[in-house]
Amino acid sequence: MEPENKSFSTNTESTHTALGHLERSIMEVLWSRGECSVREVAADLPKPLAYTTVMTTLDRLYKKNLLRRRKTDRAFRYLPRLSRNDWERQRADSLLAGFLTGSCSRSDLLISCLVEAIGEHNQTLLDELAKKIREKRKELDRGREK
Amino acid sequence: MILPYTLRLVFLCFACFFLVQAVFGLASWAGTTGAIRAAETMGPRSAARFLLLLRLLPGTLAAFAVAVLCIPSYLLLETNAPGERVGLLCSAAALLGAAISIRSLARVARVLWISARHNSVCLREGQNMEEAGRSSILVMNGERPVMALTGVIRQRIVVSRALLQALSGEELDAALDHERAHHKSRDNLKRLMMAMAPEIFPFSRLFARLERSWARFTEYAADDEAAAGDSRRSVSLASALVNVARMGGPGAVPELASSLLEDNDELAWRVERLLSPAPAREETRSRAFFTIAAVAIAVAAITLALQPLTLNLAHTLLEHLVR
Repeated sequence: MEPENKSFSTNTESTHTALGHLERSIMEVLWSRGECSVREVAADLPKPLAYTTVMTTLDRLYKKNLLRRRKTDRAFRYLPRLSRNDWERQRADSLLAGFLTGSCSRSDLLISCLVEAIGEHNQTLLDELAKKIREKRKELDRGREK
Repeated sequence: MILPYTLRLVFLCFACFFLVQAVFGLASWAGTTGAIRAAETMGPRSAARFLLLLRLLPGTLAAFAVAVLCIPSYLLLETNAPGERVGLLCSAAALLGAAISIRSLARVARVLWISARHNSVCLREGQNMEEAGRSSILVMNGERPVMALTGVIRQRIVVSRALLQALSGEELDAALDHERAHHKSRDNLKRLMMAMAPEIFPFSRLFARLERSWARFTEYAADDEAAAGDSRRSVSLASALVNVARMGGPGAVPELASSLLEDNDELAWRVERLLSPAPAREETRSRAFFTIAAVAIAVAAITLALQPLTLNLAHTLLEHLVR
């Protein structure tokens, strides 16, 4: 039975970290707005969805232990159990833990993949910044010509 | 614990230092988030000054309390009894006070030693290029892209040959102006002052966030001063930063040095700032800095003006503390 008014209840099952597209959109709404009713979440979603669809998804997220909820009057209000950063961290932790506890885990392989990924990320970032600098230079040159 | 007159004074000084530092330090630490938010509304130089003041204030007030209240009130009002009991609280506070002071001194000694060693290597191996009326530049051999202002009193800009070859004339000019801005605002001396400022507890690093934010605003201020409101210079400096990052990130420099690129984490922010500079707001919102400074000076002046009342009060408090 759900607790009445004011007190939040949480699901005690372990947190499932994989989210579907709609679940992710709903979490984004809750992370940016804080505590919301089903109607408020539905109103803030990027595309309109049926009230019952949103309610079912919120209930699923609650069962995945990602949300807390409390009953006010006749409706539930939902609140994220973890901040966005904590959730991202937990996702990364469980991904790593899953890999390292595998039957033929190769931590050196994982680390080399991570280093490579970070290197690629840095390279992409530097390319993006260099592109912005080139564009700014062009803009300044155009301004000078005028 | 029964202690003689002089040793009791030493205990009281350290205990008083720790307690004042802890009270103001915790207040400063608790206000870190708000202070950083407030700093973000100021110009970068004012923001850096404000955060530096917040970092130095607890230690300065603690030293002030010891020098102006604790020592005079003890020497003037405490009778020279051969031995008196010092309580557990006072002893614990004194030990913590001694620990944070020793840690600060050790940190200062370490950073000065590393800085002096680095400077002597640079002077021995570098090629000196004196600039008339400006800071001297030492060109070093090496593959890593180094450009940093080193030294506290005699400051020099150290540049690696690899960086000189990698940057265009405009980029090099803008990068050197960034270091000159650090020179002008004595940022290395401020780094030394921060190294000197004690932590709240011996093994804590509660001010790390404040110090990182100070470093960030200092870099922004030096960027702005190097760009001097000229979009072309901003772009050249941004380009220099990206080139340094492409060469594998900044080479290692001592703690008492202001490097062109401290770490790659701030790179994107700094480049974005340089490419789309916000309107200057340097002197318009520096009231917070002046308010804190004025309050500190007023407290000091009132304390001194109300002698011997403050000394009597301080002595009473010390009597309670020592028990």
